[in-house]
Amino acid sequence: MNALDISSITFSYDGAQGCALQNFSLTVADGRMQALLGPNGAGKSTLMRIITGQLRGYSGDVFIYNNKMPDRSALLSIGYAPQPISLYTALTTRENLRFFGAMAGLSDDQIVLRSKIVLEQTGLTDHAEETVMTFSGGMQRRLNLAVALLHSPKLLLLDEPTVGVDPQSRNHIYETLTGLNAEGMTILLCTHIMEEAARLCSSVTVADKGEMIFSGPMSDIDNLEKFFLEKTGRELRDE
Amino acid sequence: MILRQLKELIKKEILILLRDRQTILLLFLMPVALILFLSLAMEGVWADKLTGRKIQLVIENESNSPQANLLAKKIKTHKLIQHIDRPRGMDNDQIFADGKAHAIVTIPKGFDEGDRPVEMYFDPVIDAGYKMATRSLITSITVEVVMGIDNLDTVIAGLLIEKTKPSREFPSPLQQNVPAYAIFAMFFIAIPMSVGFLKEKKDGTLQRLFTYPVNTNLVILGKIIPYYLINIFQFVLMLLVGVYVMSHLISFSFHLGEHPWHMLPVTMVVAAATTGFGVLVAALARTPEQSSTLAATGAILMGVFGGIMMPHVLMPVVMKKLAMISPMYWAHQAYLDIFLRDAALVAILPKLIVLTLFAGICFYVAGRRVQWI
Repeated sequence: MNALDISSITFSYDGAQGCALQNFSLTVADGRMQALLGPNGAGKSTLMRIITGQLRGYSGDVFIYNNKMPDRSALLSIGYAPQPISLYTALTTRENLRFFGAMAGLSDDQIVLRSKIVLEQTGLTDHAEETVMTFSGGMQRRLNLAVALLHSPKLLLLDEPTVGVDPQSRNHIYETLTGLNAEGMTILLCTHIMEEAARLCSSVTVADKGEMIFSGPMSDIDNLEKFFLEKTGRELRDE
Repeated sequence: MILRQLKELIKKEILILLRDRQTILLLFLMPVALILFLSLAMEGVWADKLTGRKIQLVIENESNSPQANLLAKKIKTHKLIQHIDRPRGMDNDQIFADGKAHAIVTIPKGFDEGDRPVEMYFDPVIDAGYKMATRSLITSITVEVVMGIDNLDTVIAGLLIEKTKPSREFPSPLQQNVPAYAIFAMFFIAIPMSVGFLKEKKDGTLQRLFTYPVNTNLVILGKIIPYYLINIFQFVLMLLVGVYVMSHLISFSFHLGEHPWHMLPVTMVVAAATTGFGVLVAALARTPEQSSTLAATGAILMGVFGGIMMPHVLMPVVMKKLAMISPMYWAHQAYLDIFLRDAALVAILPKLIVLTLFAGICFYVAGRRVQWI
């Protein structure tokens, strides 16, 4: 079974000339960790927003574990860590977890239990009562991930999960993701860091200018960066 | 699940607001300070307008004749006169410059013989109406003494009688300022409300919220309800300050009127108008900076026009008409109906309808313009 099945998505923003996504298809098999690569303007963030139900008005279909989006149970099977650190910085770690847990429909007991687990997974147990605004970039990034993991999603969508973090936090995030994938969680990792994708993912999809231009196993690629540049070109992208 | 989500949305909003010291200062301390200082500042002006300030007068009797002494005594003992001894070494200009007295009356030698008239000097910056009243008072006392009349008022009583009704338009400083600055601060809720919304859009928390199975209407309610409740709390707090604190600090007490329970529907409608304004600003502005400027400018302009800073009753006719474009005018007049005019709910209703329409228009326009993502 596929965790994610996207078929022929076309989408354009209001007032924009071209399509942000053009006849875009993608599948992520259950239990896999797959990289989604693409230069700026490739449509990766738009795709993430469509998968997570933030954008409507597209043509084509999105299925999450065979549930057609938008669908409540499909939404609950996704955990999403967006690229901007999307947390309430005036609230504490625990208050953030409590809030997002309630939004996901977890009971008080479930929130307490799951908070303990995700705080351990992300190394934030000792900072549970601290306000997020006092955190370093790496700690905020880890809490961003903890929130995404709180409701035990089957499919984890990560948009640039290690941007702006120190090597220790980055390594901690890598180990957490590897562990989660080993336990059976499906992960779609959107990143610009080729070493990250090569190290963590077993398959890769390359997108450019709103279209999917490659999808295949990572083992088929010797040098991911060289391969990526060959596929997408070397000219600068300022979008 | 829906109620639980709503509860958490409201709780989150209130926690964020309570941890923002600037917002607390803006919403609670600013109006308290404005009520305190402006009521104290207005007290003197209001005393003149409502009760008549005592005239501080220096009397110099250079004649010392029996008639001059009687005149000096009658002036000094008049209930509207406060006699001041000339400070040592001060000339008239210094007395006025130092604010020691409003006027100086000199009874010169030769007054009895009718050779020289009584002389009056006024502080040059004294209000013209006040000067005229003082002059009339001294004139009538002088006429009594010169004509040998015991009390001129009893003579005039047969010719002229005053039948003025108590004022139902002129509020006391507290009746003016407590609702005025409570309303003013309630409209300032638009700043944290719109800034919070745009900040959530900017940092992505709002977008993240929509990756959960949360109804959009629930998110809207989660944004409106906390600020609506805070608005009501603001008004209650200002009222308590007015009734229990300010009435001890200034000489005017704060009368709630015969139907204080009318404050409940009025405050509920005013809070709907203020939160509507907040939602509108949030929908129209593109950045948090833009929204705080828009909200503050809007609230201040509504306050200037709406009789918040300058009592509506004292405005010129054109400004009185213009005031009606401000929702703050309707809100303020609704409260003055309660505190000052003991109005029935039916009399207040038109003002509540105007405020409800304002709220409705704000919510409608915001609903059309808002971009959630």
